[in-house]
Amino acid sequence: MYSVETYNLTKIYSNGVKAVDKINLQINEGEIYGLLGPNGAGKTTTIKMLTTALKPTEGSAKVAGYDIVKESMKVRMNVGIVPQDLTADEDLTGMENLLMVSKFYNVPYGKAKENIDKLVKLVDLRDSINKLVGQYSGGMRRRLELIMGLVHNPRVLFLDEPTLGLDVQTRSLMWEYIRNIQQIENITIILTSHYLEEVDALSNRLSIINKGKIVVTGTPEELKKSIGGDIVVLTFKNGKEALQATDILKTYKASRITELSIKIKSSDFSKDSQTILGILKESNLEPLRIQVEKPSLDTVFLEYVGRSLPDEEGDSDSRKMMLMMRRLRK
Amino acid sequence: MSGLIPLTMREIKKWYRNPTFFIVGLLQPLFWIALFGSAFDITRTAPQYSYYILQGAPNYITFIIGGIATTTALFTGMFAGMNIIWDRRLGPLGRFLASPIRRSSIVMSKVLGATVRIIVQIFILFLAALLIPSGLILPKNFNILDVLIIAVTVLLIGIFFASLFSAIAIRITRQETIMGIVNLVNLPLMFASYALFPKNLMAPWIGNIAQYNPVSWSAIIIRTIIINGKLSQAQWNTVLNNFVYLLLTTLFVVVITIILAEKEIRN
Repeated sequence: MYSVETYNLTKIYSNGVKAVDKINLQINEGEIYGLLGPNGAGKTTTIKMLTTALKPTEGSAKVAGYDIVKESMKVRMNVGIVPQDLTADEDLTGMENLLMVSKFYNVPYGKAKENIDKLVKLVDLRDSINKLVGQYSGGMRRRLELIMGLVHNPRVLFLDEPTLGLDVQTRSLMWEYIRNIQQIENITIILTSHYLEEVDALSNRLSIINKGKIVVTGTPEELKKSIGGDIVVLTFKNGKEALQATDILKTYKASRITELSIKIKSSDFSKDSQTILGILKESNLEPLRIQVEKPSLDTVFLEYVGRSLPDEEGDSDSRKMMLMMRRLRK
Repeated sequence: MSGLIPLTMREIKKWYRNPTFFIVGLLQPLFWIALFGSAFDITRTAPQYSYYILQGAPNYITFIIGGIATTTALFTGMFAGMNIIWDRRLGPLGRFLASPIRRSSIVMSKVLGATVRIIVQIFILFLAALLIPSGLILPKNFNILDVLIIAVTVLLIGIFFASLFSAIAIRITRQETIMGIVNLVNLPLMFASYALFPKNLMAPWIGNIAQYNPVSWSAIIIRTIIINGKLSQAQWNTVLNNFVYLLLTTLFVVVITIILAEKEIRN
């Protein structure tokens, strides 16, 4: 039996936007499963449906063995959620927040306390657990959010962008905590992210989602292998040249990715480069810039989504996060 | 309903931990009594009419205390609605909605939290009114039953307003919207009622409207008891009628709030 299984799960919002389009997932028990995609790909909508916050328009899904529509309360009892937004109450201490959430799940006080103490230790929050959450740093708040989703010993944990807006150091620390939690609690974790390294570092398997659809599924290694060589990005002076080059390099599966650049595939570019540049030279074409990408999740993404995850996306997210934190601190 | 108790405890903790909020909430009824109650000192300015206007109350504060208690419930009840919107904007609502608790318990915890605040505020209001010079004068045969009726009335009007403003807040996402609505309904609720002035001082049209205002019902119950102590049959009937109106209206608003919360609340 799968821990999470979806059949043609679809969500069309009232404004007509098809956020999730016939997604089929099969997630094994005890797996860390990554959902990778650019902003607006449908990751959060998928998570919201699987955690019963949204009703699917079509299709169905089972989480921890329960139907997300017909048995939504049972699903809620068995899943933990760490949403993108911060949810702890700033006017209460970390401990009070955790105990309150335990009561939502009818966990008896003694058991809740025992479980919380264990979790707090796991994410190194022991020194500040009795302080008001309003005094926490961004990283501490994220750690608290992480364990708030675990107080009732769920069988499936959903992490929606768990390290959004955190600095690199804090991020790798969070990864460590997530790995430890998975091992100690032996829990299924579903992780959404648009940080490639995050999904690469954490997940056993992943699906790349784009525009509401699953583009490809596999282990990080499988996906990297499936690329079958290097991806080379050639940038030209103008659009006309790029167009021309796309035509000439058809045998290398050339395709336009931006106005000025095209990507081609080559089993080993260090060998092929002379030939390729030679072909271009015949038509009086000379790329301004050549980028060679060794197989990585970046290239996988580039290959399957047709564009890379823009860097500034992460930056604007952390800016958004900072703004939110500032608003919260007021 | 496993969420109701922990969520209500949270409301109460947040209240007494926030010193400004706590003290302001206690000072407000005191200002009402000290400033408004003294500004209209009708027993001094128009002694020949005061018995008629104040319906037999020995002074204006005694006349008006039921109205001030009700107005206090009105103002504090607004915060129940406001807090729902805060929870939505700051994030906790997302966590509550994802938990296996009844959605109505999220909203009803605000109602209960505000009601507790209202009861404490009104208790202090009465205490202060008794202590200040030329303040509240209780009738000779004021007894425990009177206290009980006043307490239940305060409880009902507290639940009524907290529930009303919570129901309004269920689908609202912006602070400004609920502030606007609150400001809009405050004045008619307060002044188209018998809370601050007796009916015979009002223009007939507003005096007639005021009899359908829950603010009037609660003010009349408290006032009739606090002025007269031992009630005549007619006075009992007045108290009883107004009490039934208040009880039924409160129940109605609570039921509507619960239904709306179950169906409509979302992040």
